[in-house]
Amino acid sequence: MSAAAPVVPDGRKLSFDANQIRQLLPHRWPMLFVDRAYDVIPGKSGYGIKNVTVSEPFFAGHYPDQSIMPGVLIVEAMAQLTAVVYASAWKEETAPDDEAGVDTAGRVGYLGAIRQMKFSRLVVPGDQLVLRAELGNAFGTLTPVTVQASVGNELVAKGSLTVTERGSGGGNGLQ
Amino acid sequence: MSQSHDALLSTAQARAALNQRVKVLLVESLGLEIQPALIGDDQPLFGRGLELDSLDTLEIVVMFEEHLGVTISDDDRAAFGSVNKLVDFVVEALGEIPRMEALA
Repeated sequence: MSAAAPVVPDGRKLSFDANQIRQLLPHRWPMLFVDRAYDVIPGKSGYGIKNVTVSEPFFAGHYPDQSIMPGVLIVEAMAQLTAVVYASAWKEETAPDDEAGVDTAGRVGYLGAIRQMKFSRLVVPGDQLVLRAELGNAFGTLTPVTVQASVGNELVAKGSLTVTERGSGGGNGLQ
Repeated sequence: MSQSHDALLSTAQARAALNQRVKVLLVESLGLEIQPALIGDDQPLFGRGLELDSLDTLEIVVMFEEHLGVTISDDDRAAFGSVNKLVDFVVEALGEIPRMEALA
């Protein structure tokens, strides 16, 4: 089963608020880094927003005297947006009209590889991180993803990831 | 009807160049710590061969799309047997042996 199955042939774009994202993903505070997703083409691509506030728990230690969002958490936010994009495709496949019924969270896999990533700007409290993810062709349970994050019109980070899908039979999606 | 000697030689050279190109691409894209020339044409890529894993498989898929314009799908897993099998797949998909000068 492909994680990137095209299921919305008419090119319809979907939006997800924080409550709907919690229905799609298993992530919760303090490790949920997508506040909203928009222009999501299920299984294909989408945008996400992460509003960064001074109250983020990671700023307590990163760093005590200077608040900087860790680059790996930016990558995590990108990976979570990716999960929204493919989990929304599963939801469309199985029960398009059912608001809460499908368990997509249990199928969300893991980060398989950070294939390439470049960071070009610090992310600090007050920044609105705009994320973008575009899925490539899946190969088995693995999907390559092109990702990018920006604040305003400034590029924050850009690169490509590999994500896995957990099969319904369990396991971690790797072989 | 057999091909002329020159035509056969040209085909063999193009094939050898493509095998060498694929070995270089494998080493570069997977960060292998081995000289491309030391990879055997029929050496297994997985297990005790080059010790690649499934994540490397996807890396090869993406790399082939970018550099050779060929898409390997989930049904073509047999292509990952060796360099020769990968190149066989490319040649069959393209219908000819691509000339290295034409590949960036």
